[in-house]
Amino acid sequence: MTTVSAPQPAAPAPRPAGGFSAPPPAPAASVYQRPGLWLRMKKHRHFYFFVAPFFVLFGLFGLYPLVFSLFLSFVKWDGLTPMRWVGLGNFSVMLDDEILLTSLWNTLVIGMLYIPPMLALAFLLALALNTSWLRARAILRASIFLPCVTPMVVIAIVFGLLLSAEHGLLNHALSYVGLGPVAWLNSVEWSKPSIALLVIWRWTGYNMVLMLAGLQGISADYYEAASVDGATRWRAMWHVTLPLMRPTFVFCMILSLLGTVYMFDEVFVLTKGGPGTSSTNFGLYLFNLSFNDFRFGYASCVAYTVSVGVLIVSLVLNRFRHGHGSDA
Amino acid sequence: MIIGWAVALVALGSLLASLKPGGRAAAAGEPLDPAKLQRPEQLAGPITVWSWNVAAKGLMSTREGFNRRYPNIDVTVEMSGTNLQARFLLSLSSGTAGPDVMQLQGHEAARYTATGRLTDLTAVAAKYKDRFPPAAWANCVHDGRVYAIPWDIGPCAVFYKRDLLQRYGVDPESIETWDDFIAAGKQVRERSGGQTKMLPLSPTNIALVYEMLLQQLGGQVFDDEGRIAVASETSRRVMDLIRRMREAGICANVDEFSHEWMGGFNGDHIATYPGAVWLGGTMKDTAGVYSGNKARWGVFKLPAFERGGRRTSNKGGSVLSIPDQTPNKEAAWAFIEYALCTVEGQLTQYAKFDLFPAYLPALEDPFFQQPDPFYDNQKTRALFAAGVHGLPLLHRTQDWVEAQNYSGQAFTMWDTRHEPTGPMLETLSRKLQRRLGRKAAPEDATSATAAGDQSAGAMRNAHAGTSGSAATSGSDSTSAGDSTSTGDSTGASRNADAGASESDSAGASVAAAAPAGGESR
Repeated sequence: MTTVSAPQPAAPAPRPAGGFSAPPPAPAASVYQRPGLWLRMKKHRHFYFFVAPFFVLFGLFGLYPLVFSLFLSFVKWDGLTPMRWVGLGNFSVMLDDEILLTSLWNTLVIGMLYIPPMLALAFLLALALNTSWLRARAILRASIFLPCVTPMVVIAIVFGLLLSAEHGLLNHALSYVGLGPVAWLNSVEWSKPSIALLVIWRWTGYNMVLMLAGLQGISADYYEAASVDGATRWRAMWHVTLPLMRPTFVFCMILSLLGTVYMFDEVFVLTKGGPGTSSTNFGLYLFNLSFNDFRFGYASCVAYTVSVGVLIVSLVLNRFRHGHGSDA
Repeated sequence: MIIGWAVALVALGSLLASLKPGGRAAAAGEPLDPAKLQRPEQLAGPITVWSWNVAAKGLMSTREGFNRRYPNIDVTVEMSGTNLQARFLLSLSSGTAGPDVMQLQGHEAARYTATGRLTDLTAVAAKYKDRFPPAAWANCVHDGRVYAIPWDIGPCAVFYKRDLLQRYGVDPESIETWDDFIAAGKQVRERSGGQTKMLPLSPTNIALVYEMLLQQLGGQVFDDEGRIAVASETSRRVMDLIRRMREAGICANVDEFSHEWMGGFNGDHIATYPGAVWLGGTMKDTAGVYSGNKARWGVFKLPAFERGGRRTSNKGGSVLSIPDQTPNKEAAWAFIEYALCTVEGQLTQYAKFDLFPAYLPALEDPFFQQPDPFYDNQKTRALFAAGVHGLPLLHRTQDWVEAQNYSGQAFTMWDTRHEPTGPMLETLSRKLQRRLGRKAAPEDATSATAAGDQSAGAMRNAHAGTSGSAATSGSDSTSAGDSTSTGDSTGASRNADAGASESDSAGASVAAAAPAGGESR
């Protein structure tokens, strides 16, 4: 094995003579017509029947709410009394909604606080779990993944006690290092970091599993080739692992961004958006608008507007994934 | 194949039919028929009640007595717990799968009574109006129609740990005003080396304490026409008191109903719990669950703002209502009537779970003169009953919960960032005006610019004041007192406030036609 070449793509299948764009040979008699849609559906009815359940369920629980919610954006409705058409009234209210701005800002800050450390941690853990010398790998992997499947109620109680300002375990630990008690959940400054802490703890395992799958998808041949070329492990990391992991990174990034925008239960159980509005994020604000204030029309309007924004950001991010996709 | 499609179509059809808003039970929307109530034995069928915590257990305890009168009605109390409100809203909105009897908290009843989705109980319930405190009855009425019945009320006092106060040399009977309370709190803190705080009060639940103290002073969040009144002098006094408590270092940063709050029932960290009578029920219910030494509890009256001032208030309290979509309205009403409008039903719940009867005749029962063993045989029942007749009325609006949310946020920021009180209240008032689409009350300090708007007429959603002329006249005198005091020196405003509370309690007790005559002072 002195010479190793990078794997070649499979040879292209031989094309039929006559060029790429040649139409299939037409039947001799030109009276043939493609059968109509209905006939084709009838012919393939078995297949339609078997895929029908998904479409019926999607229509009822996916498409219908989506369309109904768009309709709600233009009405005023408390869920109980008749709806009132307000046209673009909801949108004009939104322009002057400082709590919405605060909640979007908080969403951004929480995202910035947790996404980079979480992805970095997940990557390091995945690297560690991907080494050959590690023992008890399955147990480690499961225990890192465990927070992600722990019921939120349990998490709420445990973190409430850990982060409590009065008798919290974390403050107790800090007191040994001489650091004063921190009002984790009761202060404007620390409520967002506390939530970021919980999110990191809860979702690192999930991202680690994704990254582990990405790492295991990289062929060993590349590393072998790199070592033959004299690359150190460090350079192999920079020039082989990281570029090939980019699609995974971008995927995790998109998932985390979406998770940030629609994050709800972490905030709800930990701070309920407080103190004040200091940790009210977008998901919680939507919930409050709907189920605290009974303003379903306005809530739909806000949800739709922000969703369009998120869609645009996701599309831009997705271009990064496929943009220079030659090495992916 | 055709059979397969047929099955799928039928399944889809039935699904759609069940989703259709018209697909409700046949009797939905029909008015309650008082004639059917004449024959208890003919009322039958299962009814479901949605409730929670101690309150649900209280209702369950009335089933035995209820079934002696109505043997064929089978009552199920579902303790549905979290997100009950959202679920109730969804079931009302879809017209199906709701309870026959629903517990609503007094402060949020208004958002449902105004929708027409609750059964109109006026025909059977109007006769009970004078047997409930006006403050509680007002929560149940919209446009002069009765949609719910007051269940319990929450007369307030201070629960204290006898051994702790004794250890740190505080005589609870000497605490007459909030100033005394703060001084005692400092003493407790100093003598315990900072280990024991006087009360649980975290920045995130100032709003609840604010409401209790505001009602003690006879202040309002909304005036009788639904205008925003938070920026009043009364409001400022309440916030000043809260600030003094927070800055005295006597408050534990513990949220109400958190684990630490419950855990504090037995430990040495918190000496007193200012709160409503139902707190005792929660204590009795949970104290046994937590390990360690059991505290010995006592109760003293709520401290007043100044010597001789009112020494009670109200916190919490619920009502029971019947969704309009339920088919079995008569059975549901029979249960509500027994549980809430009879001395027997109310006393059963009070004796076992400390749900304080809103039904005034129940307060005259000898049971209220008996000592309570949980409080070292102190006569706490009479203590709580003493102030009930003088309780000022707090105007609730349909958007009360939303307003409470904004107030809570503002108060938390005010505390954590040490913002000055006056500007905070004015900002809050403007925010409430904008978000709720309401005007400022004329006596509101912020309305200097909008003062010309006084003739702006009745607000859309103002309805709390429609319950009875006596009740509203009482609160009118309050607002009059406030308007004279606005912007004046503090001495003048104190006098005005004291005057307001006096005239108010007098008006309320006349309205309640109270024979028990227990004035709080």
